[in-house]
This record gives sequence, structure tokens and C-alpha cells, in this order.
Amino acid sequence: MSTTLERPTLATPRKVSPSKDGRTLLRSQARAGWALLAPALLHSGVFIVIPVIAVLVLSLTDYSFGDTWAWVGFGNYADLFRDVDFLASLWHTVLYAIVVIPISMAISLAVAIGLNQKIRGLGFFRTAFYIPTVTATVAVATIWLWIYNPGSGLANGFLSLFGFAPNRWLADPATALPSLMVVGIWQGLGTKIIIYLAALQGVSRDLVESAELDGAGRWQRFVNVTWPAIGPVQFFVLITSIVGTFQVFDLVYVMTQGGPGSETRVLVMDIYQNAFQDLKLGYASAETVIMMIVIALFIGVGRLLQKADAND
Amino acid sequence: MRRGVGLTLLAAALSVVVSSCGSGVIDKSTDGVPPAEATGTLRVLLPSFPPSAKGKAEFQKVVDDFHKAYPKMKVEPDFATYKNLNEKMSTAIAAGIPYDVMVTGVGWVQPFASKNIFEDLGKYGVTPDYIREKSTPALIPAVTYDKKLYAYPLIADARAVALRKSAFREAGLDPDKPPASLDEIKVAAEKLTKRDKDGNITRSGFDLASATGFRQSFTTFLASTGTPLYVGGEPNFDNQKGLDTLLWIKSMINNVQPYGQTNAAQQPLVLTGEAAMGIVNGGVDCSAEGIGQKNCDDLKFFRFNSGKEIEYVGGDLASIGSRSRHKDAAWAFIQSLTKPATLDALAKLNKKVPAYKDASNSPQAKSNPLSQFVADGLVYAVNENEVPSNWLEMRGNFDIQLTQAVLGQKDPAKVLHNLAGQSR
Repeated sequence: MSTTLERPTLATPRKVSPSKDGRTLLRSQARAGWALLAPALLHSGVFIVIPVIAVLVLSLTDYSFGDTWAWVGFGNYADLFRDVDFLASLWHTVLYAIVVIPISMAISLAVAIGLNQKIRGLGFFRTAFYIPTVTATVAVATIWLWIYNPGSGLANGFLSLFGFAPNRWLADPATALPSLMVVGIWQGLGTKIIIYLAALQGVSRDLVESAELDGAGRWQRFVNVTWPAIGPVQFFVLITSIVGTFQVFDLVYVMTQGGPGSETRVLVMDIYQNAFQDLKLGYASAETVIMMIVIALFIGVGRLLQKADAND
Repeated sequence: MRRGVGLTLLAAALSVVVSSCGSGVIDKSTDGVPPAEATGTLRVLLPSFPPSAKGKAEFQKVVDDFHKAYPKMKVEPDFATYKNLNEKMSTAIAAGIPYDVMVTGVGWVQPFASKNIFEDLGKYGVTPDYIREKSTPALIPAVTYDKKLYAYPLIADARAVALRKSAFREAGLDPDKPPASLDEIKVAAEKLTKRDKDGNITRSGFDLASATGFRQSFTTFLASTGTPLYVGGEPNFDNQKGLDTLLWIKSMINNVQPYGQTNAAQQPLVLTGEAAMGIVNGGVDCSAEGIGQKNCDDLKFFRFNSGKEIEYVGGDLASIGSRSRHKDAAWAFIQSLTKPATLDALAKLNKKVPAYKDASNSPQAKSNPLSQFVADGLVYAVNENEVPSNWLEMRGNFDIQLTQAVLGQKDPAKVLHNLAGQSR
């Protein structure tokens, strides 16, 4: 048996010119709209648009807080691509994002699915998973510094139970960045879990039950019903995660200061170092512009993946 | 039309907001005004006074002294640390409210003087002869840029080497004949290093005091071979002595001391017994509140000598901001800051020695054997010497690249060559 559904034809609405009263109403609504938008626009103008323009202009200068400065055109950008510290920082940041984003999203989704079930102690688990998010990064980093302490830390203590030799987690070039990634993944779970949980609770029960009646198993229900339904939320989580991981700074600043050597130096750390320690504000501005472009590229790739997923 | 007016109003509002952020805190100039009538706020940035009750009380004494001449001026202190000093200075300059008095360290003066951020103190009578007569001559290169003096020394941050007599005897070494050259130190350190059954170091043979970077230790070890890091702003380390020094450090790390070793109190490891020998800063508290008399008696101090006897000496250096509107008041404040009683208090608070002429007879030097030793050794002072104007950038470069060489990630010779190329 087959059923053919005819696409309903919609009548094109006739353009009706509003009456004088209607026009007045529209104008007053527009005014109210602008009035409500004004604080946000003012905030965006002062704290986003002006600084962005300032960064773009500064990136073309050699300004270093002194009395004199000069236009250098794209000289800073050319120098950046010969700067091994910048290239190392860019690579570490991209690597950090590539590892932390998918792992933290996968764990968060899995935990959110678990928390969406009717289990005992649900409130406790939800709170426990959200605590790292509301804890100051400096406090989190300090605790993890102790965990990673080569002499008396929890990590080595735990591994020693299984006969493993102590590791110098943050002092060893091979393990420093992965150690930071673990903290980054752990710290970012809370927010993602809450967002996923909200999305999961918004998945239509009717659709899930229909699929169940049609004989779909748990995995089929997840792939064909839940996954498409939380698609927009996935995209939101992806975008915020990209921006968040590219802006990682406080964790690195407190735990390793970018070391050993430059093994954990990330982009924002390098920008901070160039701007506020080396006083090369023009150079740091060019680096900031590059960072904005890289974030935009990552978001673009995320969008493409999202579209491809939606088309499937 | 209406839209145009709206946009104009928005722009006006924006400009008011923006301009109000940056105005209202700039005083009128008081230079040339009689001190008793001068008004305004003197902004002082200094890492010399810890922001503790003791530190603030000592600072207030300086303010009280300053107020004798400038009774109507307000003093606004910013108790910084060396870690956030540049951050504070750069943001203050960017915000258009620069500091009037800035206390920095060795290596800061040349970069800031080259950017016209510090005032030439020549107009206040500060000359090399004046510093030689009143202060620590060893710090003259550190306050000089382009043959002009831009800072006045407050306290000297001198470092020596200490050994544990008991550890020496235990290892069959004579504590009365301390090793002095790099080769001798390595031999002794290897004998003094203790390990557990798995080979992990449990007591370091020598503490290089380089947990955050090897810049200062490399400078010190290199200088002990008679080779200053820079001469007249030009690099002097891209040579055989530089390479030998770096290879020596490399041979010590993870051999006699684990990389990155430090303790929670950030104390020199030889003072706490975590190392048998190592670099120490300029003071030790031998009282029961400190390491105790027994521990103090177990220490012996000496200096590096691989051809030249040396003592690394940093220091706190006071400058006047070139954009200050209270330059005369700023100089008066520095004069209050450099009174012997204040320098004695600063030396005690920071475990350093006062940078006045007769530091060996200062109360701080008399208070403990380490301060006495480093004060007596100021004649052997070395530091980065006459650094290039991009030294602020080079500090970080040295720390990163020397670490990479020490940890075997980069070729030491190439690292030195690269650092020399980056110095300008």
C-alpha cells in the first residue's frame, strides 16, 4: 500500500498597504525595538566593534607603547609566519581544539543521555557534573597542579597502585599538552551536559514512541530520531566549544606558563606574551586577527559538517 | 532625516562614553609649582613592598616622609610583582594614565628608556659618579641606556652558592674546600645526588634554581667563565664558552636535579635540605621562624669561579615616567624611597641587601650570614650587563629556547645562534 501526499498549494498573500493607523503602529513598534536594542548595540559598539577596528588598525603598525610608531603594512603578518613561537602556538591550539572538542562533546552527550534517564540521585549527578564549570579556573588549575605533582600528586599515586613509574606530567614535553587537554575536557563537560540535557528533553516523545512502535531498537531510535532532533544544539555546542578552546588561556597560564619550553604555549598565551610582556602591541594585534580568521575557518568547517549531516 | 539624527545622537553618546572613560584622572602638571602648593595624585608602581600589613606600614613611612615636602599631594601605590609589572605598565600607558614612579629590575631600563617611557635622571643630578659615591656601582650598567641614566638603585638582589656541610661530609667531600668551577661543581653534585631504588632523584646534588627558565642561571654560569652575556648591547654568548656553558647545564638537568624541581614555598632547595648544594638568594632567616640556627650552621656559602669569581646581582631600580605630570614630585618621592632607613626595611622585607654605599655594614647584612656574604661580594657583581633594547622580548626567548636545548628538543649551538640573531 502506498500513500501519495499532495503538496498543499498556498495562496500568495495579497500585498495590502497598511492604513495610517497601521503605519503609526509599525513605526512605534520599530522605535520600541530600537530602544530595546540600544543598550546591546551600545555595548557591542563600545566593547566589540571599536576594539575590533582598533585591532585591525594596530595590526598594521609597530606600536609598542612608546612615543613613536610607524605603519608597517602587512609586515607583522609576514613576520608571524616566520615566528616559530607563533607557529608552535597555533599548532598547539589547533591540536588542543581537535582533541578536546570531539572528546568533550561525546562524553557530554553520553553523560546527558544517562542523566536523562529516571535514575536515583539524578539531582546529585547533575550538580556534580556542573560544579567544574562554575568553579574558578584558577582554583581548578591549582587542584590539578596537585593531582599532577610528580612527588605527591594523586595521578602518580593512583598509577603506582598498578606498578607504573611516576610521571613528570607537566614538566615532561611529551605529556604536558595532553595533561592540559584532560583538564580542559573535564572542565568543559558541565555546560555541554546541561545544553544536551535540555535538547534531549525537547525531543518529541511522539516521535520516539512512533519509532518504538515501528520496532526501532535503542540505537536506531538514537540515530534516526534523537540525533537529528538535537542537530541545531550540536551546532551550538560545537561553535561555543571552538571559540572556548581557541581562547584557552587561564588554565595554561596557571598550570604551565606555556612550558616546558613552548610545549603548551597556545595562541592567547602567545598574544598575551607579545602584548603585555614583550610590549609588541602591533604584532600581538596581527596575531589576534589571525586567530579570528582561524576561528572563523573552524566555524565554517563546522557549518559544512552540520549541513552535510542535515542532508543525510 | 530622523535616522540621520538618531545615528548622530548615538555617535555623540558613544563619544561621550568613550571620552569619559579616559578623562578626569589626568592631573595638571605640578612641575615648577612650589612643593607645598602642589596638588594631584602621584601614581607609584613598585614590586618592592609586599602587599602585607608590614609592607604597607613601611610604605606609609615613605609616604609620610614625602608629605613633609609635598603635603597636598596624594600618593596612589600599586603593589605589583615582577610577574605582572609589564602588564601594569603597558595597560597604564594604553589607558593614558601612566605611572609617575616605576620600580623595575635589571633588564627593564634599556627597553623602556628606548621607548621614551622613562625619564633621563641626569637632570636631577644622577650621574655614574653620583651612583658610585652613594649607591651600588655594580648596577650602573643596569640603569644606563645610550650613556644616560634612567633609574636609581634601591636594593640589590645578590645570589651566591650554598652547600650543606653534613651532605659534603657524608659524600666524602671536604666542605671547607667548596667546588667553584663548573667542572668541579658537576663532579661534586654527582656524588651528592641521592636516588631511590628505581633511580629517581630523592635529593638533588645541585639546585640550578631554574624551575621557570634557565636565563639567569645561564647568565651566571657564563659570566663565571669571564664572559658577560652582552657587551654594549651586542650578544656575547654565541661562542664556544656559551656552548660549553649550555652543554654543562644540559648535563646537570635530570642528572643531578630533575627538570622543573621547586618547592611549594619557592625557597632555595639547599635551605630546605632538598638539595645538597645550590644557588641561593640574598638572605636567610636563621631564627626558629625561619630555617633555624642548626640548619644555618650547616650551610657554607661560596661563589662561582670558572676563571672569574662572580656573584649574580639583580636589583630594584626606581625610575620616573617620562609622561608624568609630577616629575619633580616623583624625584622627591624617589629621594624618600632611598633614605637608608627605608632601604634597610626594603632589604629585610625582600631578603635582599640595601643598594647604598656601605651595604656590608647594613643591619640586613649583620642580621644573617648569607646577607653578609653577598653584601661583601657586591664587588664581584655580574648580570645580563648592557642588554639590547629588545631585552623584554629576549627574556622570554631565552627562557623558552634554553629550556628546549636543555631538554634535548633543539640543538644547543643552533639555539645560541638563533638567540644572538634575535637580539637587536
